[in-house]
Amino acid sequence: MSDVKQVTLELSRIPGVRGAMVVDAQAGVPVTAELANGVPGPAIAAFASALFRRSGQAIRSAGYGALGAVQLEAEAGDVVVTGNDMLLVVVVAEPDAQIGLIRMQAQNVAEELA
Amino acid sequence: MKRADVDQLRTQIQEPMRWFVREARVRTTLLVNRSGQVLAQHGFTSSYDVANVAALAAATHSSAHALAELTGSGRWMHLHHAGHRRQLFLAPFDTPAEQLILVAIFDDESTLGLVQLFFDRFSAMVAEIPALQATLDRSDADSFEADLEAGIERLLSEPPEG
Repeated sequence: MSDVKQVTLELSRIPGVRGAMVVDAQAGVPVTAELANGVPGPAIAAFASALFRRSGQAIRSAGYGALGAVQLEAEAGDVVVTGNDMLLVVVVAEPDAQIGLIRMQAQNVAEELA
Repeated sequence: MKRADVDQLRTQIQEPMRWFVREARVRTTLLVNRSGQVLAQHGFTSSYDVANVAALAAATHSSAHALAELTGSGRWMHLHHAGHRRQLFLAPFDTPAEQLILVAIFDDESTLGLVQLFFDRFSAMVAEIPALQATLDRSDADSFEADLEAGIERLLSEPPEG
């Protein structure tokens, strides 16, 4: 658990990141979270896991295998979701954050946790 | 709760209930008070099931409340049981009139996180219902069972919702 907390903390320290969470993929609830004030962690965890699951189903149905990551871009920021059937790594970032770096780090963390 | 109160409440609670079922993607849901009196339901097809689940929900709530007091845990927030195919979520919430208990049964179309999230909003919506703004009269022991049975019959006599 301390490793999970540590990697979450490290993700949250990347410039432009407003929150990082490790989420139980089946339940859609946060396992650990490092969030800036005002970031609704449980709601993001619930929707992110639902999105990842649905996207994974769509990708598998299309014959493309397992889903690697989902990246949502919006006016006020980005959300990156990556992981596997057990654990997801969810990062909430500001619009001007280095999303490529965030995505790579999130995938590294997901691989470590797998 | 008197029969007239229940009828009024049931009418006002339909929309929040529909909203919760749709958004949280639950299969079956039941709203009862601490006595096990059924106030609303979705997805049950048998009065036997409704009555059993209502009674068990009220009993579970009482047991969990007692356990929380014994262990100094304070008030319990929700109970979650994860089965192989279906999951059960049971949670109490306060309204100005009385405490109510929501029972939701869901499968892999939803998650605990989604159900929790929409339960929070559902409970806030229900707490604002006009019929729940005042302390309601309790039914006496003689009329309670008749009210319960009549309520279940009425609930199940309605056509199933989308």
